[in-house]
Amino acid sequence: MKKRILIGFTFLLSLGAWATAQAADPYGKYDSPVTINIGNRIDPTGKFPEGDSPENNVYTRYAKDTFNIIVKDVWQSSYADYDRKLNLAIASNDLPDAMVVNDAQLRQMLKADQLQDLTDVYAKYAGPLLKAAWAKTNGTADKAVTFNGKIMAIPGITVPDDGYTLAWIRKDWLDKLGLKVPQSLDDLEKVAKAFIDKNPGNLPKGTTIGIGGPQSGGQLYGDFLFHSTNNNFAFDPIFSAMGATPGYWIAGKDGKAVYGSIQPETKAALAKLADFYKKGLIDPEMSVRKDATEGIIAGQVGIFFGPWWHGYWPFPDAMKQNPNANWQAYAVPLNASGKWAPHSGNSHTQFLVVRKGYAHPEAAIKLQNGLMRDQFTFNVEATRIENYPIRTVIGMPDDLLVARKAALDVLMGKKKIEDFQGGDYRSYPYLLDDIKSLLLVKKPPFDNFDIQYWDTTSPKWPRIYSIIVGGAPYSNLSFKVSQLPFYSSTKTIETKWASLKKMEDETFVNIILGGKPLSAFDEFVTKWKAQGGDTITAEVRQELGQ
Amino acid sequence: MRNRGLSKHYYLMLLPGFAWLLLFSILPMFGLVMAFQDYNPGQGVLGSPWVGWDNFQYLLELDDSRTIFFNTVYISVLKILGNLLVPLVFALLLNELRLGFLKKSIQTIAYLPHFLSWVILGGIMLDLFSLHGPVNHLLSAFGVRPVSFFGRADLFPGLAVGSDVWKEFGYNAIFYLAALTGISESLYESASIDGATRWQQLWTVTLPGISTTIVLLTVLSLGNVLNAGFDQIFNLYNPIVYSTGDIVDTWVYRSGLINLQYSLATAAGLIKSFVGFLLIVLAYFLADKYAQYRIF
Amino acid sequence: MIRDRSSSSRVFDIFNSIFLVAVALLCLLPLWYTLCVSLSDKSSVAAGAVQLWPVGVNLNSYNQIMHDSQFVQAVWVSVQRVLLATVVQFIVVVCTAYPLSKTTKQFRGRDVLMWIVVFCMLFNGGLIPWYQTIRSLGLLNSLWALVLGPGLPMFSVILVVNFVRNLPKELEEAAEMDGAGPWFTLFRIVIPVSVPVLAATMLFGIVFHWNDFMVGLILMTKSENYPLQTYIQQMVIVMTSTMSEEQYKRMNEMSNQTLGAAKIFIAILPVLPLYLFTQKYFIKGMTLGSVKE
Repeated sequence: MKKRILIGFTFLLSLGAWATAQAADPYGKYDSPVTINIGNRIDPTGKFPEGDSPENNVYTRYAKDTFNIIVKDVWQSSYADYDRKLNLAIASNDLPDAMVVNDAQLRQMLKADQLQDLTDVYAKYAGPLLKAAWAKTNGTADKAVTFNGKIMAIPGITVPDDGYTLAWIRKDWLDKLGLKVPQSLDDLEKVAKAFIDKNPGNLPKGTTIGIGGPQSGGQLYGDFLFHSTNNNFAFDPIFSAMGATPGYWIAGKDGKAVYGSIQPETKAALAKLADFYKKGLIDPEMSVRKDATEGIIAGQVGIFFGPWWHGYWPFPDAMKQNPNANWQAYAVPLNASGKWAPHSGNSHTQFLVVRKGYAHPEAAIKLQNGLMRDQFTFNVEATRIENYPIRTVIGMPDDLLVARKAALDVLMGKKKIEDFQGGDYRSYPYLLDDIKSLLLVKKPPFDNFDIQYWDTTSPKWPRIYSIIVGGAPYSNLSFKVSQLPFYSSTKTIETKWASLKKMEDETFVNIILGGKPLSAFDEFVTKWKAQGGDTITAEVRQELGQ
Repeated sequence: MRNRGLSKHYYLMLLPGFAWLLLFSILPMFGLVMAFQDYNPGQGVLGSPWVGWDNFQYLLELDDSRTIFFNTVYISVLKILGNLLVPLVFALLLNELRLGFLKKSIQTIAYLPHFLSWVILGGIMLDLFSLHGPVNHLLSAFGVRPVSFFGRADLFPGLAVGSDVWKEFGYNAIFYLAALTGISESLYESASIDGATRWQQLWTVTLPGISTTIVLLTVLSLGNVLNAGFDQIFNLYNPIVYSTGDIVDTWVYRSGLINLQYSLATAAGLIKSFVGFLLIVLAYFLADKYAQYRIF
Repeated sequence: MIRDRSSSSRVFDIFNSIFLVAVALLCLLPLWYTLCVSLSDKSSVAAGAVQLWPVGVNLNSYNQIMHDSQFVQAVWVSVQRVLLATVVQFIVVVCTAYPLSKTTKQFRGRDVLMWIVVFCMLFNGGLIPWYQTIRSLGLLNSLWALVLGPGLPMFSVILVVNFVRNLPKELEEAAEMDGAGPWFTLFRIVIPVSVPVLAATMLFGIVFHWNDFMVGLILMTKSENYPLQTYIQQMVIVMTSTMSEEQYKRMNEMSNQTLGAAKIFIAILPVLPLYLFTQKYFIKGMTLGSVKE
């Protein structure tokens, strides 16, 4: 008997040893070629080196050489049409092996049981860089892709900075009028009024816009479901300064989740906005004009709200029209306690998924591993990085702040370019290029970031300007975001939200424009609760474990 | 006897057309079943759970279903009327022109707006009617204060209908122009000899001559009574004008942003098709019974 | 219309001409504006500086579109599509319309068949079943998908039926008495007389196939098989909240109204001469053949 146990034990032990010896290698090359079919998101006018194409380029060859993975396009689509094509593929159950999806598509595919469980695959095959980035999200990545205890997708990770809405102000106008940067809402009001009355832009009468607003169909503020980050030309900071967080779920007085749009603070904020509008401080054509950026590019707008990256757009066009427009970003207006209390948003809006039944789910993860490890060795000028197959942007959450600090250190002479090659900085793929571009875009003095000390025509200007000036307001600020991390859907949201949101949008915009009285807000709250809002609140609380 | 022999030939002639119809129109109609299901792509049409009338009930019992259906009907009826009358009048007027060169160029130019997509045209409309735009400039010359056209729910249907009619009248006029060619010149001659003025000739010769075309186009456009034009409305509307501008299609579209709503969209489409078809059938039988005329 | 010499008639003519010219101008202005935008400098357009004249004239957008290697390919796909579709549609529409134009006495099944056509015009199963059907027919990514995918042009069929129904009965009776069979009557007698309506429906077909981008987008899987409109409509980036910064970067490079405007003109240009050519077939005063009472 003892002998049998001993043999059995030895057998198991050796089995275990064998298994470990076969342990998954995140960068392992397959013995025989593995084909992965993808729906490729391409730029149809993108340039390739001679002979290359979306299906055959330096990245697909990299996949073959490094992992023995053959990438095949079952269909191709531009960025603009990608969602349409993907929705069609999902709806007709005609799926590629791996694909990059958004959150609505993820939920739909889960419901349709079209996804492969990636729990094991992730555990075994996720490379160290992927795991490090995941860990740095403090649990949001886990929450975004874990359903019923199983990991069903690899989340993209974008910087939380995309979620902070800053106040972009024409500093040259402030300087011309001898005004200080506004801190409180009252300050903001006074500055906007001064811009309009005193016309520092020398514009034709009646065309100055104090505070820029949204365009036709644009949102008044971000919301948890459709547009939780990258909110611009809206009024998020004004709401935040009034202590309101409409569009998101926040902690109520008892700590339990409540919907921000039905809180009394939102009512007060709407009254304030209506007052601003009546006084002519806000774009008279808000929510009706064709293009929110038109006023900015034409040099008519003095203040608008948006995240850090406006150096990309619309500033280059704005600079062409007005080379002296000194757009600077500030973490204002402050709330009643003198603090900047923005909301943020979801860092996970893109997901890498694998269709159920595909024999090699780890191939998708290996491709991501390769990207993260080697991307800063690729020549992205010759072939754009977007052509990397099933590329999901997985960056470090502190990418922006690290980039900014590095840029400033180099400008001030504290560090050199060589300090940023490799090592810890491998996870920050754009960093080296950023550092190298600094002197191309920034003129001395290097500690003054006003517009005249930049070369705004350089192609590198958008990014560097965005990092340094856009990242300035909060890089040394400590603050708390006002919303709860709930960005998905519930059962009742699926059936009732369209009607509730319509009511919300219609009521709020009409209150601001003066078409409806402030009392319409109370009616809205009553209806909202009765027509499904209370049920949804209960469901959200359940999701959050409250 | 002869007729039965001919039937064989007629069926042969119909073969390609109906084969085409069968494969590409009739066969896909199996998808209409989705309207009665809670369609799940993983299970497909054959496996998705059956929910009967639930989707229809949902659409019709929405808190603002009255509004969206009313808006839809209101806008599409106005469009139907506009898209029937304006091209007709235009075709008749054009027909009166003597200078062939003028006639040809005006007609060609009128046809061009058809090529503008609503993405572009929507933007143009928003600019045209903006507070500092040309229309308001014109109004201020008459002392009228600037109007925020697209910020007024009461003006939205008019703007939508007007711009759509403007966009399509040149294109729609082609039907009438083609029909006008079928009126024999001798009819005009005899009417003229009988002393009819141009105005009278219009009513005794021209209009009766194209009456079948007018009736046909009218009846066929009844099929669109719930089709207020998604592309256009989507590119023109905003939350301020939801109360008059939100139609069934835009509502379903926004609903689909939350979760891809195949069943709901199919149900909405089915309602539109059904109502349109019903009206056409009704019109057909009324014409048959009371005018002894079969429209097609 | 026979004109009389009365003064009211002349007055009417003058006002009519003025009115119609005004209407034409009204139609022309937005087109002109779009042309100006397409020729203007991008940032000026974005600043709203373009009114009735281009600002910063350049052909950048046109260059961008037309000097693309795939542009020529996409044009070729569209040309093939239009040619094939026109031929197919012409034959099928007339062959389908002619029997349906017969009365019930002459052709027993025509009522049912006619209603089937009307029914199909109004009801459709939706995008997904249509896509799945074409996929199972193995036509995805082929030229035939573009030609047959949109389905039988039912509206054209009904129009032609209506037109033929209204032709004088004597026309066909004369042919019948001469011993002509149905095929001969169709091709040698009915078609030549139906030129106006056939020219009109052919024009619609050509314009539809030239302008369509949706069918091309759904049914073609590789971008080298895209027809022209599908290909160039991809060139405008729509901003979404999920854009990464690389996409924002590209927004600045590519998304611009100038490009959108240029695309419109590339679409219109070939159709204009076509239209001018076919006009003579359906404008009164230039008909080919008419019936003597």
